[in-house]
Formats: sequence, C-alpha cells, structure tokens
Amino acid sequence: MVCIIATIIISLKSPAFFSALNGQVLLEAISINILIALSQMVIIGVGQMNLSVGAIGGFAAISFAGMMEVWGISAPVAAGLAIAIGVLAGSLNGIFIVWTGVSAFVVTLATLAIFKGLNLAITEAQPFYNIPAEVGAFGNTTFFGPLPWILIPALTIVVCVNFMFNRMPLGRKLLAVGANSHAAKLSGINVSHVIIVAHCISGFLAATAGIALVARLQLGQPTIGDDWLIMSFAAPVIGGAILAGGHVSTVATVFGVIIVALITQGLVLFKVDPYLVQVVLGALILAAVGFNRWKDIQTAKTKPGMHSG
Amino acid sequence: MFKYVTTAALSAVLATAAMADGSKVGLVPGGPHPFFADWEPGGLAAQKDFGLEAGDFKVPQKWELNLQNDLLLSMVVQGYDAFVVHPGDPVGSAPTLNEIVGTGSPVVIASACLKDPSDVAFCIATEARDSAYRGTKKLIESMGDGPKKIVHFAGWLVEPNTQLRIEGVERAVAEHDSVEIFQVIADIDAPEPAEEKISAYMAAYGSETDGIITTGWVPTVVAANALRKDGSKRIKMVGIDHDPVVVQAIKDGYVVGSMLQNPYGQSYIAAFAADRLRSGCSVKDDAPFTAHPLTARFIDSGAPYLHAGNVEDRAAVDEAMTKELLSTFEETYLDC
Amino acid sequence: MFATSEKYREFGREGATDWLKRIALSNEFGLFALIVVAVLVFSSLASGFLSNFNLYLLGRIIAVNTMIGFSMMVVLVTGGLNLAVGAIGVCVAMTCGWLIEDIGLPWYIAIALAIVVGAGLGAINGLLVVWSGLHSFIITLATMSIFFGGMIFLTRAESFREMPGVFTDFSRLKFFGSVSAMLIPTCIVAVLLGILYRLTRTGKEMLAAGAQPAAAEQSGLRVKKLFVLCHVLSGAVAGCAGLMLLARNGAAIPAMAGNLGQDWLLIAFLGPVLGGAVLLGGYVSVLGAFLGATLVSVLSNGLLLIQVGEFWVQACLGLMLLLAVVLDKVRRLFVEN
Repeated sequence: MVCIIATIIISLKSPAFFSALNGQVLLEAISINILIALSQMVIIGVGQMNLSVGAIGGFAAISFAGMMEVWGISAPVAAGLAIAIGVLAGSLNGIFIVWTGVSAFVVTLATLAIFKGLNLAITEAQPFYNIPAEVGAFGNTTFFGPLPWILIPALTIVVCVNFMFNRMPLGRKLLAVGANSHAAKLSGINVSHVIIVAHCISGFLAATAGIALVARLQLGQPTIGDDWLIMSFAAPVIGGAILAGGHVSTVATVFGVIIVALITQGLVLFKVDPYLVQVVLGALILAAVGFNRWKDIQTAKTKPGMHSG
Repeated sequence: MFKYVTTAALSAVLATAAMADGSKVGLVPGGPHPFFADWEPGGLAAQKDFGLEAGDFKVPQKWELNLQNDLLLSMVVQGYDAFVVHPGDPVGSAPTLNEIVGTGSPVVIASACLKDPSDVAFCIATEARDSAYRGTKKLIESMGDGPKKIVHFAGWLVEPNTQLRIEGVERAVAEHDSVEIFQVIADIDAPEPAEEKISAYMAAYGSETDGIITTGWVPTVVAANALRKDGSKRIKMVGIDHDPVVVQAIKDGYVVGSMLQNPYGQSYIAAFAADRLRSGCSVKDDAPFTAHPLTARFIDSGAPYLHAGNVEDRAAVDEAMTKELLSTFEETYLDC
Repeated sequence: MFATSEKYREFGREGATDWLKRIALSNEFGLFALIVVAVLVFSSLASGFLSNFNLYLLGRIIAVNTMIGFSMMVVLVTGGLNLAVGAIGVCVAMTCGWLIEDIGLPWYIAIALAIVVGAGLGAINGLLVVWSGLHSFIITLATMSIFFGGMIFLTRAESFREMPGVFTDFSRLKFFGSVSAMLIPTCIVAVLLGILYRLTRTGKEMLAAGAQPAAAEQSGLRVKKLFVLCHVLSGAVAGCAGLMLLARNGAAIPAMAGNLGQDWLLIAFLGPVLGGAVLLGGYVSVLGAFLGATLVSVLSNGLLLIQVGEFWVQACLGLMLLLAVVLDKVRRLFVEN
C-alpha cells in the first residue's frame, strides 16, 4: 500500500522514474537488499538478533573475490566456497549460542568483530580488483529489457524462504522456537538444532548477498557489509516483524525492502539538498511505519464491526 | 612490582628519546582506505633512505576519531618519537596531537591539514579546493562549447575537504555562464551507497548530463564503472586519485582525467621531515608556506593531472614530483 | 554470564557459604576476575601497560565508554533500546559549542542547557515510542537519522572550536599522575543511577515496568510515563558522554561519533550487556555496566600495546570476548558444583 503511494508520488514528480534503466537500477538494489533483509529475518524469526550479518557477508565477499584473484579459482567454485564459508560462519554463531547459553546479541557481537577482523587482516583494507569479466557481467547485465540477472537468485531465494516458512516443518519449528522456546521444547522440538540451522541459513543468505554485491560492484571491497546492520533490521521491522520473534513474513519483508529502496531513489530524483538527505530519510521511515501502524489499528477496529454485522 | 614496571617503562622511553640517531617514526592515517596503500612503501623507503629506526605504517581499524587518538597515544607509550599523521578530523585531532607534541615528539600532517592553531610542525598535502577547481576546469574544457550540465559526486559531508571541494567546483562553474551544476550528491564515499545513488542518478538524469566531476575515491571508481557500462563516451568525466579502475578507464577513454594527490611522496617527505625535526631541526620562521583555507603552514605537494597523455607512467610522474620537492626541502623549510 | 544473574538478586536467608557462592556467581565478580586476568597478562607482555601515562589514557577511555554504556543501559531497562544515543550525544556537544561560540554564554550555563536539549531529544524518542506503540528500535533508527541530519543541516558540518580552555584542561587533568579527571563525571552519574535504581521509588518502578509492562500497568504504575522518563534519562546521559568527548577533543565536531553517531552503538551495548543487563528489560547493573566497559577498554588498549598488528586487533578483541563468555560459563559450572 505504502509502496504504491510512494511509486505514484515519485513518478508524478519525475517522469524519468518509469524508464527501463531506472527500473533496472531499482531492481538491482532491491535484489541485494532482499538477501540482506532475509538473512536477518530468519534470525528475528527465532527471536534472536544476528549482528554479524554484515561481517559474514563482507567476509564471504572478500573470500570470493580473493580466491578468484589470488588462487585463480573459477567463479562458480569460488562462489560455492564463499557460500560454504558463510554457512560455516553462521553455524559457528549458532553453535556458540547454543553451547554457552549466552544471548545471541553478545555472541554475534563478538563474531562480528572476529569476521570483520579476519576480513581486515586478509585484505589490509585494500580491495581485490581482478574480478573476472563474466562475474561483472552477471551483476550488471539484464534480460527481457530491464530485468537484471541478479534478480533470479534473489527471487529464487525469496520463493524458497517463503516456502520454508509457510509449508515446511522446519519453518514452523523456527517460528515455534521464536514464539516460545520453552513450549517448543516441551512439544518435542530440538531447540538447539533449530537455532543452529537458522544461523546456518542466515549465514548462507548473508554470503549470497556479499557475492552478489561483488558482482555488482566488480570489486572485492573490504568495506562490504559495514552498513548492512540497520538496513537488515529496518526492512523486516517496517514489514511488520516483531523483534521478540515468532512472527515474520517474507512478503512483508520484501515490501519493507522496496519501501527503503524507493525512499533512497526518491531522494536522488527529487534533488534533495545533500545536507537534508538524512533528515528526510528518517522522517520518511517514520512516516512509512507510522502509516502501517495506523492501518493496522484501523483494520483492528473495523474487524469486530464486520463480525457483528 | 608495579613500581618496578613503571620505572622500567619510563627509563625505556627516556632511553629511546635520548638516542641521537634515527627516529622511530609512526605513520598513522585516519582509517583504512585504499588511498593510503602508498603510505606503507613511502614510510619504508624513508626508513631505508634516511636511516630511521622505524618507518611503521599503522592503521586504525576503522575511520573513527577516537580509535585513531587511542592508537596514536598507545604508540607514544610504545616509544615512537616522531609522527606522520593524516588527522581523522582537522579540528578534533588537535588536542591529541598537541599532547603528543608536548611529549617531545614532532608531528607532521600529511595528505590533509589540521586547522590552526595547533602545535604540529606543518602539513604537506594537496589543496582540496584548488584541486577540485582545476579538475572542474579540465572537465569544462573537455566538454567543449554550448550549454552544459554537470553533476558532482562528493565524499562524506563530515569530512571538511568535501565542503572545500564543493566550493572549488562551484567556483569553476561560476566562471562559465554556459555551464551549470545540475546536482550535488554527497555522502557516498563507500561502495554501497555510491553504487545505489550513482546508478539511480544515471538512470534518471544520465541523458541530460554532459559532464561528471567526482571528488571522492569511491564515487570516482563507481562513476567510472557506470560510464564504462554506458559505453557511449558521450558524458565526460574528471575524477580524483589513482584507483586501478580509474587509471584503466582513462586508458580506455571512458574517463577524461583524474586529479592525483601523490600519497607516496607526501608520506615519504613527511617521514623525512619528522625525523629531521626530532633530531634538532626546527621549521624556518620565514618558510615559504602556501596559502590554505585551514592553516598558515601548508606545503603544497602538487596535484598533477592524470590524463590519456601521461597515464602510462603515473609512478614516474609521482616520483619526479617527490624528488623535486625533496631536493630543496631541507634548505627551504628547515633550520638545522 | 549475562542473563542468569537475575536469579540471584533476591536476598534470601542463606548461610555464609551461600552468600559467598552468590558473590562468586555474580556477573560483577566474573567481570572483575576477567579484568584482573587481562591486566596481569597485558602488564607482563607490554612494558608500558602499567605506566602512569597509559593508566591515565586508560582512565579517560573507560570514563567515556562507561558513560556511553549508561546511556544505553537506562533504556535497556524498558526492554527497548536507543539507537540514537550517538546522534543525541553529538547534537548535545554541538549545541554546547554553538551556545558558547555563537551565543556567548558562559560554559557552565551552556553545559546545563545542552544537557537539557539532550533530555528533550530523548523525550521526543520516548513520546514517539509510547504514542505510536512501535518498537523503539524502528523509532530510534528514524530519529537517529533525523537528529543527526538536522544537526548536519544546521551546522553545515562545521565544527565549533572556540571552546574555553576549561574543557581541554579538564580532559588533561590527572590525579596522582595516573588517574584521569574524566572519571569524575562518570562516577557521579554511576552513583546517581545506583541511587535511582536502589533507593528511589521511580527507579524501582522503572525496573518493575520494564520487567512486565502489562502487570505493572494493572498494578497501577504509569508505565508510559516511566518509559518516556527512561528515554529522557538516556538522552541526558548520552549528552554527558557527548560533552566528555567535547572536552577530550577540545571542540564540538560533527564527526566525533562517526556518520549518524553509529560508532557509539557497539560500545553502548557491550558495557551494559556484558554487565548483565537483560535485553528483554527489567534488570540492570550499574556496577556491571562499568566493569563491562572497563573490560572492553582494557582489552582494546592492551591489544594495541602488545602490537598484535593493528589489522588483527579487531579479530583478537572478538576472540577474547568469546573467550570471556566461555571462561564465565566454566566459572559458573565450577562454583555451582
């Protein structure tokens, strides 16, 4: 709903918004941000936080670029290994959380420092430049007009994650643990196992986002992932996820990502004073969530009325 | 035990300070950034050429003023006695650097400047406003006659050089009636926001734009890639610095040119000067410093313009400038 | 180490051994033990670690980090968080700079007014959270952007540097050659917060409201008002931290907490959470937050001094935090048996 209004306002003000190229740019930004947001959403689903999504994504990104540049590994193999690193990093998070019983917040804060630290130690803050042309092409070319290729993995993953949460026992287990881990345990769910799996999925998604970003930037930048954290929370929360866990929606998260992307793009198209960009961004996020909230309250009010009538 | 350790540490510090030969020079940038890749060889070369005890390049893990301050002070504890610093903030770094100068270790500022007043010796850097001005002039020249629209992609707003660069671009454009600044997009000296905003801009207004001036490292790289993707070579662009992507784009003709800053030479000469200052030299009272918006003690390391004509030998351009500056440096600026 | 301590906070009629056991099991004791271990290790590895100069530096770092931790802690009580602490801190410092440089107020009045501004920004957060019923995460995420952006817009990212010497003098003041004066405001705030939560009704009501908002509401507490008050407090304390950095830097600069003030977030959470604060609300430990911030400061300072290679510092810090967590678990198992 907010998306549609935002689209209309932006396109009224700036006809360039509907150009094919613009659509492509928007889709590219959305594709990657969806992966980041989902990576966090899975963990929000089990009622935890993963502060290390950016660090895992960045570490996978530079591993991917580094393996291709330094060892000359072909792109698909490097991507596979980088994703394996992401899953491994995620499983480390999960195992530590389960084993120590310490809050995920503290553990992922520590692993954030570790993964980011390894990233800096390997790269010494210098980017990897020699990204094979086909990788760059994957991140920057399109099919059927404005549809970027990176949309395909992103869409596939969205469908899979949605399927997992709605149709598969694993998804239901995740949410059960998030809603009430004690009750989940009593009903026979292996809570430790579920938490570790959730972190593996999160690591996988973060790594995919990192690799996609390398393809798009055509650079193995060590700073990849540094500012994912806020974005990763904002989209699911705008989309209505409850931070206490147990309730997430893949579709709503996708809309959350789209809202953020539209806002960012709108700021450029409207030529907002660079010194005011931050203010407008903040105000728009408030407006978007406020509107959603208001709508929820309205529907909550009208529902009982409909039942009685 | 406590007392013993303290005395031992103090005497160790005193012992190093008393040594007359080579200084232990620490080179500290504001944070990790590809720009400083040339600082490490600069420091090592200075160590070798001038017989320093050390020419160590130490990077704060993040661009964070407090991290840099903590790192600098911990290096004083470790016995470094001369510093080459790229200040994390031209104002906020001053108290810490003054404190260091207070311990008897000279501080030379490189690749940026500290705002007066401060106790540091001087700064050796590129004048950001002038460099942006000259870059914009080159861009306007390359676009030819007729009404033109240019866009300016700039770095972090919290970094004061950004303000100077915006002014520099505005000044150059003001001198040409036919040219106007279509838009300034700032706060994009990181790959993700740069990619997002520059792509969005190109998609919306690329067709109306005739020229691009970039004054930040990352925006330059991203804009150069965007022009390569576009492929038409209709939009002219002048960038900043020497990222391989930019150098290649100049070779291939997608980018007209780039304003260099010579970080190697800046760190090399600054390390030399810091060592000389520690071993008893002082800055001349009547040294011929150049004008700078922030400080009265500014040495211009030059901002060579990299273009298709000299792109093949960028290293030679830098080296020639470094040699020239060094050959007269001691007699021009120092009293020994 | 972190969530379990609340179990031990009720005073019962236990024997002396139980009492000792409770102390040995507490977070505060665990943190203290870890700090002692860290200090011993670093002082044997780096000769300068216990030098007067380094102790003075360390005191300064601990003072600021603890204050930042407190500003988050007082909101953690509500079960919420405040991502805007850094933005508020910078806004307060800039306000203080503006009042002194452009308005010409004496520094003590400027400081007081600036802290009021911080409390006001905190109040905006609190009111928005309470009115909208949205999670404080999303509200403070947005206000972080608004506060910081507003500050950048109004100041054009220009620093205020004509600060009276009293600020830098204060940040350089030391006692006995090694104790930084910056610890004074931190200690005052720590004592005040301790009194608030232990001895005053408002403080106890805050904890009760944070632990179980619904139940507290039913028993007649004005939960909303209390939550707003927590955010006001957070704004004021973040302002104090901002002013301490102002003193440290001798100028009010927009960049002192990074873009959007995000640089504070890590340390803001680390201190209180290591110190045993429960993210779901209802329990905090002032001493724990102080010790947590101290542990982190000691680790990062020590790692710099033993020259692990500055790019490895972060990885080592993360590893040591994990190690701290594991050691604490071992300690707990050991004491319990």
